[in-house]
Amino acid sequence: MLIQALYKVFRQPAYTIVAFVSGATVFALAVWLPNLPLIIRVMGHTDASLKDKIGLPLSLLGSITTNFSVFSGVLTIAIAILFGINLAMFAYYLKYRVALVQRGGIATGFLGVVSGVLGTGCAACGSFVLMSGFSLVGASGALAILPFGGAEFGLLGVALLIASIIITAMYIQNPAVCSINP
Amino acid sequence: METKSTSNYLLIPIAIVIAGVIIAGAVYAGIRTPTQGSAQRPQAVAQGSGDLEKMTAVSKSDHIRGNPDAPVKIVEYSDTECPFCKRFHETMRNVMDEYGPSGKVAWVYRHFPLDQLHPKADKEAEALECAGELGGNEAFWKYADRLFEVTPANNGLDAAELPNIAKFIGLDVQEFNTCLSSGKWAAHVEEDTQNAMATGGSGTPWSIIVAANGKKFELSGAQPEATVKQLIELALKEK
Repeated sequence: MLIQALYKVFRQPAYTIVAFVSGATVFALAVWLPNLPLIIRVMGHTDASLKDKIGLPLSLLGSITTNFSVFSGVLTIAIAILFGINLAMFAYYLKYRVALVQRGGIATGFLGVVSGVLGTGCAACGSFVLMSGFSLVGASGALAILPFGGAEFGLLGVALLIASIIITAMYIQNPAVCSINP
Repeated sequence: METKSTSNYLLIPIAIVIAGVIIAGAVYAGIRTPTQGSAQRPQAVAQGSGDLEKMTAVSKSDHIRGNPDAPVKIVEYSDTECPFCKRFHETMRNVMDEYGPSGKVAWVYRHFPLDQLHPKADKEAEALECAGELGGNEAFWKYADRLFEVTPANNGLDAAELPNIAKFIGLDVQEFNTCLSSGKWAAHVEEDTQNAMATGGSGTPWSIIVAANGKKFELSGAQPEATVKQLIELALKEK
């Protein structure tokens, strides 16, 4: 089921690009985080050349090997990759749902479409989209609240993302229906 | 009819974008918080609102490696038991090997022991000062190099090693022990620590690159040598 869903999503190059870009963004943000003020300072610095402005953020990416323990570095990379996959699958699912919503004529206005997108699911299942979004927040949030770097609990973030990917895969394979047990 | 259809067609991607922004915002809020103590932030304390201009000016009382009148000074606030400071010490030694002989860059060492994480680091910082008192600037740096070399970090250095390091670099061990047990440098170490936090330091290593015209660039963590060199080159452009 998971493999099939992954194949269904990533055979379309657009979703591979979404996964790569979003994963790379998360990775870069995580690595740059301690030095965002420096990056902003250099970006706004009039004497800094374009080479400086591009080179500094690029060189800071290398801090994955100098400013991370091996464990936290591996977790950071894993979370970035899983985030990218999750987001791409999420986008695929959203697009599919929106098409269904539109065909069904449920969305009669802009807010209706937004709420339709965010509130996909059904009364019995709850909002899958929001839950999926919360799982993403939960993954990063788990790292956010930890005082000692979160390396140990980063595993929880990875688990949440994997769970989210599996759940999204299930929805992709069996969308838009709430099964009724006889 | 066509207008309505076009409008509906556009609403879908816009709605997706808005939904994405909402989720991305939530994700950003989630990953923004870790600046205080994230997986990648090696050794952190509670963050205060810092001002680089509050950095105590570099003076003769500082421990300086390289040309004291260098146009670029890298002021590093460090903790001897922080594993990332140990790593960054090597990075800075390499940087000084390259820039030191030309007199363009000076490395200024200040203390920022995070006693909540490394209770031993305070005394080790005092030991560095005692080395400096007994053997001058050269002894200070020899002691620092040796200490970072032998400590396993994370509060792992046996306190009994401190006089051994003094002996290793040729200091009088008895005088060293007398100095260390007196606690005479504790206040100075605390001054450095307070100054690090006043400048915005929330973890170690915390470095401030100061250009000839006083322009300052902050660098948090054990960043790669390439990054340090880029900042040096940028600072050298400041006249």
